[in-house]
Amino acid sequence: MSQDTTTRPEAPISGPVPGGDSTNALSRLAALWRLSGSSTGVLAGLLLLGAYLGATQPIFLTWGNITNVVASNSVVLVLAVGATFVIISGGLDLSTASAAAVTGMAYGLLLQHGQNALVAVAGALLVGLLLGVLNGVLIAYVKVSFLVVTLGTLSVFESAALVMSQGKTLNVFSRPGFAPIYRITNGDVGGIPYLMIFDVVLVVAAALVLRYTTFGRGVYALGSNREAARLNGINVARTTLSVFVIAGLAAAVASLIQVGRLTGASPGVDSTLLLTVVAAVLIGGTAYTGGDGGVGGTVLGVLFLGVIQNGLTLSDVSTFWRGTVNGTVLIVAVTLGVARHRGWLTINRGKKAQSRA
Amino acid sequence: MNNGAAPLVEVRGITKRYPGVLALDDVSLSVRAGEIVALTGENGSGKSTLSKIIGGAEQPDDGVLLIDGEPTVVANPATALRLGIVMISQELTLAPHLTVAENVFMGRLPRRGGLVDWPAVRSRARTELAALGVHVDPRVKVGDLSVELQQEVEIARAVSSKARLLILDEATSSLSETATERLLELVREQGRRGVAVLMISHRMPELYATATTAAVLRDGRMVGVVPLPETPEPRLVHMMVGRELNDYYGGRQVTPGPVVLDVRDLASDDGALAPTSFQVRGGEIVGVAGLVGSGKAHLGMALGGAIPATGEVRVNGTRVVLGDPRRALTAGIGLVPDDRKRAALLPTRSVAHNMTLSWLRTLSRFGVVPGRTERRRVREAIAEYGVKTSSPNKLITQLSGGNQQKAVLGRIFALGCPVYVLSEPTRGVDVGSKSQIYGLLQKLTAGGAAVVIISSELPELIGLADRVLVCFRGAVRGECSGEQLTEQVLNAIAVSGHIHTDDSGEAA
Repeated sequence: MSQDTTTRPEAPISGPVPGGDSTNALSRLAALWRLSGSSTGVLAGLLLLGAYLGATQPIFLTWGNITNVVASNSVVLVLAVGATFVIISGGLDLSTASAAAVTGMAYGLLLQHGQNALVAVAGALLVGLLLGVLNGVLIAYVKVSFLVVTLGTLSVFESAALVMSQGKTLNVFSRPGFAPIYRITNGDVGGIPYLMIFDVVLVVAAALVLRYTTFGRGVYALGSNREAARLNGINVARTTLSVFVIAGLAAAVASLIQVGRLTGASPGVDSTLLLTVVAAVLIGGTAYTGGDGGVGGTVLGVLFLGVIQNGLTLSDVSTFWRGTVNGTVLIVAVTLGVARHRGWLTINRGKKAQSRA
Repeated sequence: MNNGAAPLVEVRGITKRYPGVLALDDVSLSVRAGEIVALTGENGSGKSTLSKIIGGAEQPDDGVLLIDGEPTVVANPATALRLGIVMISQELTLAPHLTVAENVFMGRLPRRGGLVDWPAVRSRARTELAALGVHVDPRVKVGDLSVELQQEVEIARAVSSKARLLILDEATSSLSETATERLLELVREQGRRGVAVLMISHRMPELYATATTAAVLRDGRMVGVVPLPETPEPRLVHMMVGRELNDYYGGRQVTPGPVVLDVRDLASDDGALAPTSFQVRGGEIVGVAGLVGSGKAHLGMALGGAIPATGEVRVNGTRVVLGDPRRALTAGIGLVPDDRKRAALLPTRSVAHNMTLSWLRTLSRFGVVPGRTERRRVREAIAEYGVKTSSPNKLITQLSGGNQQKAVLGRIFALGCPVYVLSEPTRGVDVGSKSQIYGLLQKLTAGGAAVVIISSELPELIGLADRVLVCFRGAVRGECSGEQLTEQVLNAIAVSGHIHTDDSGEAA
């Protein structure tokens, strides 16, 4: 839904159309596979998994379970959407889960100090923005490696969240300013959770930004070839700063959802959250080297991991297995992506043939 | 060495199909020991496919490969290496962090008692290099050497591994004239020692100076095998493109207009370019020649804002802020950098997105790219600049080098800049595409643009430019036009910094 042009085969402009009459259908199928995005495999995997769980676990395809999967994966999804921008641009934000802990604490503290909903939400978003600016400025303008910067802020944010409340979880349920966020994260309209609607709007907006704005094109260009982007007038530093600010804002939004669902702000960082987020982006077909991928794939990656988790729970498998399964899925998915990229899995190896002058 | 024993390598009836296209159609060719065969043809004619099949990187769909007269299956490049088939391409395969000696013996370091015998590595590397006349210290890290020396180390490694067939795939395309001459001498020497050589090159002079035979491929078919240097060049080009290329560089009737580009004391901050001044009029093509490291590449980058620089550059009288490509572009200086892969292509993006990259700022409204206008302009540019692609949505890296370059040039040309700075605009591009690119350049100047072309190919500069500036050791040391515009004069300045050096007859 959000992929770039390569996912959509269009009529050729010049040159020969591959395939004659007899092999038309086959070659068109092959062309479709060739042109389809790198997330096709995940989609197929997701459908297979869904079919399997639907057949073996009667509860899986119930509306209640589906909304549960969506709601419980919204935090990961929001963070992953932010991370998608960073990873496409050729970077990585290791501090995203820690940043979410800080913004969650900021929101909790503001509520505890009697602030109204608007101030508390705006405060959390502002803190997220500032954390993103901190990362972004160090990376884009001071020119320190993103790995060094975000590894450092990962640790700084994590401890800052603990310092903010002396390690205590802030219960916000009884605070009047909490009501709107609580309603949004737990309510529904006509059986459709608000959170689901929010997720869809966010993903569509992010996809449109990546696909149809100069900024989005700049993000891809940066990840694809930084020097080419620079020489063609892309503002490299500003674009880099922007993707980290987006990641910071995503952390703030994710933390609001988290607090809303738990009715309390916890200073602790779930150690698997960061890995799940990055894994989801990569499973969704976004290249870890940057320059390729999209939010649509990220949605599939999040859903894939979420459905597996859901399936394990429904099948009464110990949650201790979760990490093993997630890690294995990550490696398998990215390996298949690499294999496909090298042409091992393509039906038609049209690379050289298509390039004839 | 004709007849007698079986050819070292022979292919018979090789056919290779890719979907929709026959890459090689019943191709036969033989290379004997001591023979230097030039494999020529336009980009996409099947040269690389054929050399890959011989090198074991691809398998033919049909036909046989014979080595010493024996049908042989070269299953992979490792097998090829064991058979003495060594491939050298323009992309170096050396490990930059290892020393010269380690690179020369990579994968076959001399051992003693299970440990690497380092003294032997160094001394044997020294003898191997000396035998080839390559003067480098085997203890130096390869990454610290110039590209030319690296290329020579690569050759040394190939030769010392007892190569019987050397395949050179555009090995000279990133080298200067002198380095090319050195490398070709090495190749000729190998030929004299009985090594068979198969060389792929777009440069006519080096084919004529080196090869004994030319095998011409066109659209996957072997058009003919002719002796060199007896076959006249026009005939060879005709075989390659299948038509006459009259007027290769294109003529033009342009009266130079007022000064468009005014450069005063332009110098790069890193010192590679000393203060340089010149002017270019509208409709004029000014060439820049010089050896690698002469500062000619830095001149282009400084003009385009790609590197920090000082001095004064004016476009139509307006001063340009230096050191910022965005500002240079806004001021109307369109730069095409020399290294397409490193500085121009977005390898993970489509042809369309690669072309739009340069237009984003002018195309977008309120930060949004209008999809329909974008698609239309991409279609128009693809047609206008002759980019051959089955779809604008195809990955740019799936096009041939010539078409990639046309896309890169086209996206800049479409901006309608008053000044164009083109660095090696036809590097690694076949004759047909070259001719097209020259035509595009002529069209630009007819439209009143001032064009600066930086090139290592002297014939190209002489054929295109109204005058040529020659760089030597970081500064422009000479300017040639009219009668003086010959390879001898340009070469003399390029190697010595001034004209009157009797006969430094380096010209090919």
